[in-house]
Amino acid sequence: MAETYRKLDAGEIEALKARNCHAYEWDRILVKDPFDANRLYSVFFHGDCRIGRLDGSVTAEGGRVRRAGIYRATIDNVETGDNVLINQVNGYIANYAVGAGAIIQGVGVLEADPEATFGVGAELESVNEGGGRDMPVYPTLTAQVAHIMALHRYKPGVVDALRKMVEAEVAAAKAAKASVGECAIVRNVPHIKNVRIGAAARVIGAAYMENGTVLSEAEAPVLIGSGVVLKDFMVGEGSSITDGAILEHCFVGQGCKVGKQYSGENSLFFANSEAFHGEGCSIFGGPYTVTHHKATLMIAGLFSFYNAGSGSNQSNHMYKLGPIHQGVLERGSKTGSFSYMLWPCRLGPFSVVIGKHMDNFDIGDLPFSYVTAAGERSYVVPGMNMFTVGTVRDGAKWPARDRRKGSVKRDLIVFDVFSPYTVGRMIAGEEICGKLYEETPKEVEDVTVGGALVRRRLLRTGKKTYSTGIESYLLEKVFERAEKALEKAAGAADVQAAMKPSAGAVYDPDWVDISGLLAARSRMDGVEQAIGEGKLKSLDEVNAALKGVYDSYGADEWAWVCRTYGTRYGKTPDALGADELKDVADAWLKAKQKFVKAILADAEKEFSEVSRIGFGADGPPEAREADFQEVRGTYGKDKFVKQLQGELETIEKRAADFRAAMDKLG
Amino acid sequence: MVDSNVLERTRKVVADLLKLPEAKVTDDAHMVQELGMVSIQSVELIAALEEEFDIEIDQDEVADIFTVKEAAEWVEGVLGA
Repeated sequence: MAETYRKLDAGEIEALKARNCHAYEWDRILVKDPFDANRLYSVFFHGDCRIGRLDGSVTAEGGRVRRAGIYRATIDNVETGDNVLINQVNGYIANYAVGAGAIIQGVGVLEADPEATFGVGAELESVNEGGGRDMPVYPTLTAQVAHIMALHRYKPGVVDALRKMVEAEVAAAKAAKASVGECAIVRNVPHIKNVRIGAAARVIGAAYMENGTVLSEAEAPVLIGSGVVLKDFMVGEGSSITDGAILEHCFVGQGCKVGKQYSGENSLFFANSEAFHGEGCSIFGGPYTVTHHKATLMIAGLFSFYNAGSGSNQSNHMYKLGPIHQGVLERGSKTGSFSYMLWPCRLGPFSVVIGKHMDNFDIGDLPFSYVTAAGERSYVVPGMNMFTVGTVRDGAKWPARDRRKGSVKRDLIVFDVFSPYTVGRMIAGEEICGKLYEETPKEVEDVTVGGALVRRRLLRTGKKTYSTGIESYLLEKVFERAEKALEKAAGAADVQAAMKPSAGAVYDPDWVDISGLLAARSRMDGVEQAIGEGKLKSLDEVNAALKGVYDSYGADEWAWVCRTYGTRYGKTPDALGADELKDVADAWLKAKQKFVKAILADAEKEFSEVSRIGFGADGPPEAREADFQEVRGTYGKDKFVKQLQGELETIEKRAADFRAAMDKLG
Repeated sequence: MVDSNVLERTRKVVADLLKLPEAKVTDDAHMVQELGMVSIQSVELIAALEEEFDIEIDQDEVADIFTVKEAAEWVEGVLGA
C-alpha cells in the first residue's frame, strides 16, 4: 500500500463530484491509498490539499468510535494525516495541517495566516502594569527564564541575550504550519485563527481563539472548554481553561486550571496554578499560584505558592504617574478574605496578610509572619505562621498535587518549606527582632520594621520562634545526614566523612527563589553570567544550565547547613565526634518534639469551644457537641492529628535507633 | 489555690493588654468570648507574661488557657518548675 500522496484519477474525480464535492483545480488535490470517495461528501477543495488515508475510524470522547471521513467542509490548503474526521465546517479550514486521528466538527472558521507565529514572541507586561518588565513568551517558557526576564532588569545584558534566543523560537514558529495535533478534538468553536493545537487536546465550545499555542500530548492533554476567549496566549500540557475564562496576553504553564469566568491580562501562570472567578492583571503567577474566589483582583505582583482569599485586592495606581507600583509576595504567602494591599509592598515567605493595609511595607526578612491591620497601620507578628497546621499542610500538599503528567516537567520546583532560603531569612529575622527588643525601652508599645509596626513584646516572641525554627532545621539536616550515613558505615569515621560537603557544592550565605527554584545566589549568578557573555547560546542550553542548578540543590543546601551549623554551634558537622553526633540526635529529637507539639497545639484550636459556634442548629444545647463531632470529628480521631502523634513515636524511635547504632560502631 | 500575687499580676497583664479596667477582668472571665481577646493578642499575652514574670513559655503548652485564673495557674507552674 502506497504511503505517498498521488493525484486523483478521472473516475475518482467523477465519483467525488457525484458526492457534491468540488475543486477549481483537481490536480492540486492529492490523496493517499487506499482512497474511497465514499468517505467524502460535500467537500469544497481550494488550493493545495493533501488527504491522508480514510479507511479507518477516529475515537471521540468516552471512547466513541466514528468513521473517518470529510463531510460538509470547505478546506483550503489543508493537509490531513490518516483517518481524520472533519465535518460540519460552517465556514472553512485554511492553511492547517490536521494530525492523524483528529476530529474537527462544527467549527466556523479555522484559519492561519502564512506569517503566523502562534503567539510566540508576543510581548507580555507582567509584574509592573506600567511596563518595563515586558517579555516575549514562547511555548516552552519556564518560570525560571520568565523570572529572569521580568525581574532581573538590573542585568540588561542577560535579558537582551535571552530575548535574542527567543527570536529563534519566533522564526521557527513562523516557518511552521498551523496544526491540529494527532487525535485532537476541535468541536463547536466559531472562530480559531493562527493557533497551533497540540496532540490529544480537546477544544470544545470555546468562543474565540487567536494567536496562540496549545501544547498538549496524550499523557497530558489540554482542555479548552465552553465560552473561552483566548488571544495572544500559550497553554501548557495538562492544563484546562474552561467555563468562559477570558485570557489576553497570557501564558498558562503546565497542569494549570483556569475557569469559572476568570479574566486575565498580561499575566503568567506557571505550573499547577489555579485561577477561577477573579481577575489577574499583570501578575507573575509562579508555580502554585491559586485564586479561587470572586471579587479577587491580583494585580502587578510576583506570587508563588500563593493562596488568595476571597476579595483579596491590591492597588498599583495612586493617580499620579500611572499604574507603576508593584508588589512581591514571596513563596507560601496567603491573603485573607477581603484583604487589601497598597503597592508597593514586599512580604516575606510563608506570611499571611489579613485586613486592609495602607502602609507600604517591606518585610521580606520577617518570614512566616502574620500581618494584620489596626486602623491605618499594618502590624506584623513575626514568625507566627511558622508552627501552624496550615503551613505544615501546605508543605505536604504542593508536591502531592503536582498535576504535570506529561513527558517533561518544565518549571524547576524545590518544594521545601524550610531551606537555606527561608531559614536564611529566619536568621535575619531573628537578628532584627533580637536587636530591636534589646534596644527598645519597655514603655514603648510598638516599633517600626520595614514600614510596618511590631508590638515590642512580640519581638521577643519572634526572636524565640525564629531561633526554634533555625535550630530545628539545622539539627534535622545534620541528624538525617548522619542517620543516612550510618546505614552504610563500617565505623564512626565513615559517618564523620559523610558529613563533609561534596566537592562540587557551592556555599553562599545568600539564596534566591527564582519562582520555584531555590538556589545559592552565586550559582544562579554563574548561569546568568554565562547567558550574558554568550556562553549559553540557546534556550535549550539555558534550560540545561538551570537544571544543573536544580540538581545541585541538595549538595548546596548541605554546604550551607554545614557552614551555618558551624557558625551557630561552634563546630561544623564534619568535625563532630560520635558522642557529639549522639547529642545532635537528642537535641534534634527535643526540637522536633517541640515542633510537632506546637503543630498539634495549633490543630487543637480547630476543636476548641469557639469552633463549635453555629453547630447544633435548632437542637437542644447538647446537640451542639453531637453535631460538631458528627461533622468535624474529634481532636483525638482526626487523621492529621493521628499522623502527627504517630510521628512523635517515630522520631523517638529514630533517635534511639541512631544512638544504639552509633554505640555499636564504637 | 493560686498565689494571690501571681493572680493579681496576671490580671493586670491581661487588663493592660486588652485595655480594660482591672475590675472587668475577673478571674473566671473567658478571655476570648467575654473579654474580646483575638488570636494575635493571645500570642502577645504569652510575651507579656514572660516579661512580667521573667519566664520562658513554649507556645505549644498554652493552648488550653482561656481565663485569667488558668493563666495564673500556668505561670505558677512554670515558676515552680
